[in-house]
Amino acid sequence: MKKILTLALIALTTTAFSQQYLTREATLSFDAGSPLEDIYAVSESASAVYDASTGKLGVQVLMTSFQFKRALMQEHFNENYAESEKFPKAQFTGVFKGGEAIGQLTIHGETKDIAVPCEILEADGTLLLNAEFPVDIESFGIAIPGTVADKIAKEAKVQVKATLKKRA
Amino acid sequence: MTFKQSLFLGAFALLTLNAAGQEDDLFALMDIPETTEFTYATFKGTRVINAQSNETPGEGVLQYVISHRFGSFSNDYLYNFFGLDNAQIRMQLDYGITDRLNVGVGRSSFNKVADAFIKYRLLRQTTGAKDFPFGLTLYSSTNYRGARYTDGVDHFISDRLSFHHQAIFARKLDESLSLIVAPSIVHWNLVPGPNDPNSTFHLQLGGRYKLTNRLALTGEYNYGSNYEYSDGQRFYAPFAIGVDLETGGHVFQFHISNTNAMSDPLWMATNPYNPLDGSLFLGFNISRVFTIQD
Repeated sequence: MKKILTLALIALTTTAFSQQYLTREATLSFDAGSPLEDIYAVSESASAVYDASTGKLGVQVLMTSFQFKRALMQEHFNENYAESEKFPKAQFTGVFKGGEAIGQLTIHGETKDIAVPCEILEADGTLLLNAEFPVDIESFGIAIPGTVADKIAKEAKVQVKATLKKRA
Repeated sequence: MTFKQSLFLGAFALLTLNAAGQEDDLFALMDIPETTEFTYATFKGTRVINAQSNETPGEGVLQYVISHRFGSFSNDYLYNFFGLDNAQIRMQLDYGITDRLNVGVGRSSFNKVADAFIKYRLLRQTTGAKDFPFGLTLYSSTNYRGARYTDGVDHFISDRLSFHHQAIFARKLDESLSLIVAPSIVHWNLVPGPNDPNSTFHLQLGGRYKLTNRLALTGEYNYGSNYEYSDGQRFYAPFAIGVDLETGGHVFQFHISNTNAMSDPLWMATNPYNPLDGSLFLGFNISRVFTIQD
């Protein structure tokens, strides 16, 4: 009987020691502007997960959650570039190791291996995640027609900022 | 195996399973639950061709539309330089007060009609957590005929007014195909004879089919309740087929139709051109949007 109790205790503590952190209010923005056109969008409802014991890191965002200053630009982004009906989400899955996020980035239905600088800091029991990296737009199969090629940057600057809370 | 041993094994198995389960679940945790999304870009332009689409420019957006209808194929087409010599023109300037409310003014060369309109998106199609199957946009225009009357009668200003009201039901069936059904009323303050109806009812059907992200085929047909008037005039149901081409802030619409008037009551209710006589017109609408307020 004692043994069973001990085991139960072990099982409980293992669960309690879960090192999983989560947020659904991560800020994810990108800047694909040029001197000719200001193209900037931000989503405040990206999600991010991190397991401190294994180093696994995941970030996900709904394409339609990106807010642009101009409604028409937002419509064009979803309709002509991201094709959000076909590819509703973009995500990163991988690990955080040695100041880098290493894994797979999926945008527009195309998956690529990436390793980008990433920072995870601990503060008051929460984790602050910061990452900034370029994304080559056309390498994810997003076509930019010649008529607007001057207006859209070849590489979008992506910025992720998240405050992850420990999962209860 | 004793009872205690089996218990021990069982607990161990549970524990490891539990841990393994957590591993796999990590990425499932971040899955964003389905949200309700407004359906966007049911049509590229605020018109299908002649008919209104359910779309309005966004809040703070000023739109300028210039439209031409060239001369008929049946009317000395080459002599009139492919119809260019007798082109009709309409200019329109409109503004998005909110994402749903749009007001504008226009001026057409045919009958020198000036018009003012208001357009309101009452319902929007949604998908996701909550599905709503269609959008409903209300549209109303007042039209003032500027052309002089040649009947030698003194006319009141009210004689020159005509109106068009409609409810545009729109549905984006999938990524490519969008349709509208729009029951409409055209009202003339002045009709040829006492037995002629002042109001006629019209049913517009229209659609677009996207070929690529920036190119779409469009078509529309308009059925009217009365096309014969006591003064012997005979009118025909207007239809049009066209192509939408979108480049950034412009939408180019090229089309062929059996109408050359562009103010709503004229093209809808009193179109004198029978396509079977070869009365077909090439035309275009070009819109340019300016974001006035970000």
